Amino acid sequence: MTRLPVIAYLGMTHLGLCSAVAAASKGFSTVAFDRDVDLLGRLDAGTLPVVEPGLDDLLRANRSRVSFTADPRALRACDVLYVAPDVPTDDHGQSDCSDLNDLVELAVRTARPDATIVVLSQVAPGYTRARQQPGRPVYYQVETLVFARGVERATQPERFIVGCPDPTSALPLALAAYLGAFDCPILPMRLESAELAKISINCCLIASISVANTLAELCEKIGADWSEIAPALKLDKRIGQAAYLSPGLGIAGGNLERDLATIIRLSESHGTEANVIRAFAGNSAHRRKWALRTLHTTLLADRPDARIGVLGLAYKENTHSVKNSPAVALIRDLRPWPVQAYDPVVRSVAGHDAVRHANTALDAASGVDALAIMTPWPEFRALDAAALARAMRGRLVLDPFRVLDGQAVHAAGLQYRTLGVN
Amino acid sequence: MLLTHTDARGSSRPDRVVVVGAGGFVGSAIVRELAAAKIPTLALTRQSVNLLDSDADATLAALLVPGDAVVFVSAVAPAKTAAQLVTNLAMANAAATALAKRPPSHLVYISSDAVYADDATPVTEASPVAPSTLHGMMHAARELLFRTEVRAPFVALRPTLIYGADDPHAGYGPNRFRRQAARGEPVTIFGEGEERRDHVAVEDVARLAVRLLRHRSVGVLNAVTGVSTSFHDIAHIVAAQFTPPAVVQSVPRPGPRPHLLHRFFDITTCYEVFPDFHFERLAAGLARVHREVSATTAAVPARANAT
Repeated sequence: MTRLPVIAYLGMTHLGLCSAVAAASKGFSTVAFDRDVDLLGRLDAGTLPVVEPGLDDLLRANRSRVSFTADPRALRACDVLYVAPDVPTDDHGQSDCSDLNDLVELAVRTARPDATIVVLSQVAPGYTRARQQPGRPVYYQVETLVFARGVERATQPERFIVGCPDPTSALPLALAAYLGAFDCPILPMRLESAELAKISINCCLIASISVANTLAELCEKIGADWSEIAPALKLDKRIGQAAYLSPGLGIAGGNLERDLATIIRLSESHGTEANVIRAFAGNSAHRRKWALRTLHTTLLADRPDARIGVLGLAYKENTHSVKNSPAVALIRDLRPWPVQAYDPVVRSVAGHDAVRHANTALDAASGVDALAIMTPWPEFRALDAAALARAMRGRLVLDPFRVLDGQAVHAAGLQYRTLGVN
Repeated sequence: MLLTHTDARGSSRPDRVVVVGAGGFVGSAIVRELAAAKIPTLALTRQSVNLLDSDADATLAALLVPGDAVVFVSAVAPAKTAAQLVTNLAMANAAATALAKRPPSHLVYISSDAVYADDATPVTEASPVAPSTLHGMMHAARELLFRTEVRAPFVALRPTLIYGADDPHAGYGPNRFRRQAARGEPVTIFGEGEERRDHVAVEDVARLAVRLLRHRSVGVLNAVTGVSTSFHDIAHIVAAQFTPPAVVQSVPRPGPRPHLLHRFFDITTCYEVFPDFHFERLAAGLARVHREVSATTAAVPARANAT
């Protein structure tokens, strides 16, 4: 192929949007397709539906190569069609694949016979094999999007894992040319292997998180400090600097929970032993409620008139997503008490009528008996402990992610509680 | 979640609550709590309905009217022998037969944390039911019996070790310690009394039972405080309540030291379903019980002597 292939992404939610902009940034003409005309209008005007650091700038810089469209005929011009809508999950980690199914069918129906169709959305093992039709192979590629690091992950992938109907055959030229532009290893494998590889990656991450959470809780009881232990572990080459060893409030965001549910479901279907996966889920559910337990045991039992401040509503910093957010769960569990909340992006929470949404972090801290910093947004790091102490009525600060300097909080006369140390 | 409220606001007011086992330690506390909540109550004791009578199911059914909620708390406890197990199941079977004929609007069964495996820690409502004692098996079987035989919203309340001024039992724990001290004897603990256990005031169990009724809750809830205290510490708290303070004395354990010394509970579910409910702290509860018993003893010395 002498010309650069034209790339299409179908589904302009988080994954598709980040991936399409990344494709354009590598010099490829990119068709960004979605059926939602209103969404496309906003995208065309440069208003993005997701909060992702660097994405706005990257789109602006490569705007001339991105064509937002709701017209399926535009897909006929494409050499590689990625089907990439976000797949929503319910409270039990079950996927709703209806949008994905529709877009796969559209791609199969619309693409040129010589074009390559790739499912990029996360699917359960067996999904892509079931979409094969005579003369129309469908590939699967692992996505490793990380919320709040979407641009970095889409433009600088560590490797590409490509599930192929026949892994002994060479990749289609257009797909190989496109992936080659990212200058990273390409690992073709069976469809089922690639689908499970995605889940396997997440299981390894969850294992690390679960170890950190389990041992951090123990630290809180025996006088140890997990923040002293984790750096030592990262210097072990078998563990590594990038290991997920920060204690947290359980896993959230939806994708990791989906993988746990998928493995448990598959193990039940095939009779394999998977109790460790159930344990990961149990540990996550337990740690998610750390702030609730701490508030009850240190404050609420004695202060029926308590007022609570919550900083951060998104499930993690630099994202708008509140999927399985510990902050939202906390607020729902605090329904008898008035809550003042502030998040730089999220401005509403369903399920608690008595939430007052403050305009600043300090405003949310004003007059509260306890302040819980539930999302480690960068702007919270600039909070002055003395100013918090002046603003608050009570003394209790819950800072699970160590956003603040614990010593400064103590020095300001506040009672500081965090994960991994008592 | 393992416990859900049919009435999230908790404003339900049963037409009447029938307490089966109202003469017992826990049953009488529930009757008092229902009276405080001004909820009409039919308190059935063994004298009203003997669940071991051959016609007990008919007798109980005849006392029920549509709309009744039922709290079943009748038991020969603890069930230590096979015969006691069978007796308890027969009682539950009679009640379930009656309730199958006259389905209540809501059924609350007062169970026990003995339904959980010994090595479960921290225990939650999601911990597997795997009893290691006949007593635990009795409660597990009765839960299942009511859940399957009675067509009514069902909730099991599973208390841990219960204490209170009217506790008729003298099992190892605060009540036995108090009686020993009251008699002027040393308070005896096994070994060093290291085992940490959760103890809940009977009044808190009753308050939870009434809350379950008012929310028409379905599922399982543990009646546990979430704080486990060693028998050593409990013995010293109780001993210090007397003047002069009682002596706490270590005695050999009656059996081998248990493999799992402590039992902890995670009470997050209670925080979630009853966020404004808080348990009486053990030291405060033991002090209150001491005051109550002392007042009774002063008023009726003969009763104190009888204990």
